[in-house]
Amino acid sequence: MEKIAVKRSFDMRIIGDWVEPESRVLDLGCGRGDLLDYLVQARAVSAVGVDIDFANVTACVSRGVPAYQGDIAAFMRAFPERHFDRVVCSRTVQELQDPAAVILEALRVGKAVTVGFVNHGFWKNRIAGLLGGRKVRNAVYPTSWYESRPANPVTIADFEDFCREKDIRVARRVHLLGDWKTHCPVLPNLLAGYALYDLTR
Amino acid sequence: MTDDVEAKPADSAPRHLAHGDVGIVQPRDYVHDRPFTFKNGQVIPGFTLRYETYGALNETRDNAILICHALSGDHHCAGWHSPEDRKPGWWNNLIGPGKAVDTRQFHVICANVLGGCQGSTGPLSTDPATGRPYGVHFPAVTFRDMVNSQRHLLDHLGVVKLHGVIGGSMGGMIALLFAIEHPEIVGRVLAMATTARESTQAIAFNEVGRQAIMQDTAWNNGDYPRDGGPRVGLAIARMMAHITYLSDASLDRKFGRRVVKPGPGDAPAPAADPQAPGFFGAQFEVESYLRHQGQSFINRFDANSYLYITRALDQFDLAHAYGSVEKAFARVQAESLVVGFTSDWLFPPGQNRAIALALLRAGRRASYAELSTDLGHDSFLLESEELYALVRGFLERDRVAFDFSI
Repeated sequence: MEKIAVKRSFDMRIIGDWVEPESRVLDLGCGRGDLLDYLVQARAVSAVGVDIDFANVTACVSRGVPAYQGDIAAFMRAFPERHFDRVVCSRTVQELQDPAAVILEALRVGKAVTVGFVNHGFWKNRIAGLLGGRKVRNAVYPTSWYESRPANPVTIADFEDFCREKDIRVARRVHLLGDWKTHCPVLPNLLAGYALYDLTR
Repeated sequence: MTDDVEAKPADSAPRHLAHGDVGIVQPRDYVHDRPFTFKNGQVIPGFTLRYETYGALNETRDNAILICHALSGDHHCAGWHSPEDRKPGWWNNLIGPGKAVDTRQFHVICANVLGGCQGSTGPLSTDPATGRPYGVHFPAVTFRDMVNSQRHLLDHLGVVKLHGVIGGSMGGMIALLFAIEHPEIVGRVLAMATTARESTQAIAFNEVGRQAIMQDTAWNNGDYPRDGGPRVGLAIARMMAHITYLSDASLDRKFGRRVVKPGPGDAPAPAADPQAPGFFGAQFEVESYLRHQGQSFINRFDANSYLYITRALDQFDLAHAYGSVEKAFARVQAESLVVGFTSDWLFPPGQNRAIALALLRAGRRASYAELSTDLGHDSFLLESEELYALVRGFLERDRVAFDFSI
């Protein structure tokens, strides 16, 4: 677990770099509020998270991070256009019911959208699938199929296609190698373990 | 809310001395001896609020938590008035030393609302102009009047800042209104099982209750002696309202279709003869339960107060009062937490969610949590470790934890 926490800190820093100080940030699938807590400390943002789980919302509230328990899409529908300076969707996309609808809705309520995800095109995932012949498991998704939430694994190539197709402007992109730290210079869909995108309309 | 909270059977130690209990408490009266103007302009020469406090006010006078009670609740929200009491204050499971609302840290205050009948000034109180109960000559009381009268109480107690205001159901509405009307003194608001606007269905239920009271000839246009009045009507109003606080599942679990067993001297249960005594009597346990609830209510509640307070509920509509819910909440400085309960059909989760969403749209710090329960509206009184953890987390965050380990 600690390994993930350490790995985690690097993508949080990148997300933090993209966030304007004192801006209004919405985190979709905020979990226990780690990222938002960091953004509040580091960037003094005005934060709110959405999560479906009562215990996660309790954890957020207990550390002073405002959180809303409920459905992500329904939450966003309740807000006017560009209400948030930034919407963050970190490690959430692959579990969404309708990822396109959520990302497009995030682009409506947010001036910018950060999407971060584990690249399932990463070579280790490919090999695991090819040789193991089993559901791909890695540091972020370590569980067997029967104890996992429904997932929609996404690759960098898939995501690039999606942005092109939906006319979403990619303002910035960061591809990290398997250590989630070192920038990936070439062949990101094969060599990058983790991807971060900064989207606008 | 129902008054079903039964005390656990006493084991070895007296119940009021149980761990985490505030123990024996005494109500006090705050007498406001200056004229008080209601929202509608009517004036009364003064008023009394009956209240209780638990835990000490700190030196900076900013550790107070105000508890707001529901329609039929009162100021006695924790502890016991005497060791012989059948049950403790209505939120005893939540409030006490070491509990979710920790009286070792907080000075907890709870007052019976203006317009009520548990010791605070209301329709049952004597009108100094006539020497008789106010009855329907009592001014139309609103939640804003209740809030403003409690502000006087806080000033009297020397409270400079409320760490929090907490309430469920009607108490949640009053808590929200407190943060809107007196934003400068409210640090946190916790509203549960409530709404920003009394719904049509809730008004409809209130109207049936009022009709039951007003159609009882003993109501006599609100003019009745203290020991009389529309007892039948008030009991029926309570029976009906009581159902709205529960749920299909909880009623079924508690009573099922069980029939009342005849006592030793009673005639056997009637078969199918409508003329037999008892055919329309309480055959099912749920019937005798509701009858009992109605009867016990008339011994502690005033019918005119019931009319006044339900009318105040009906009129509660933040959007209407402030132009929009967002405009109402734009005044709030407090951090808010709203809690909904899945089986609450009186103030359903959607209405609680709407409060949190409007607070967020207004740019406030607000959270929403939803507990899965099948107990209906009264779930906010539930004994739930999950709820306690949430409440404690919300109230205690930021409080410096002293480390004595050095």
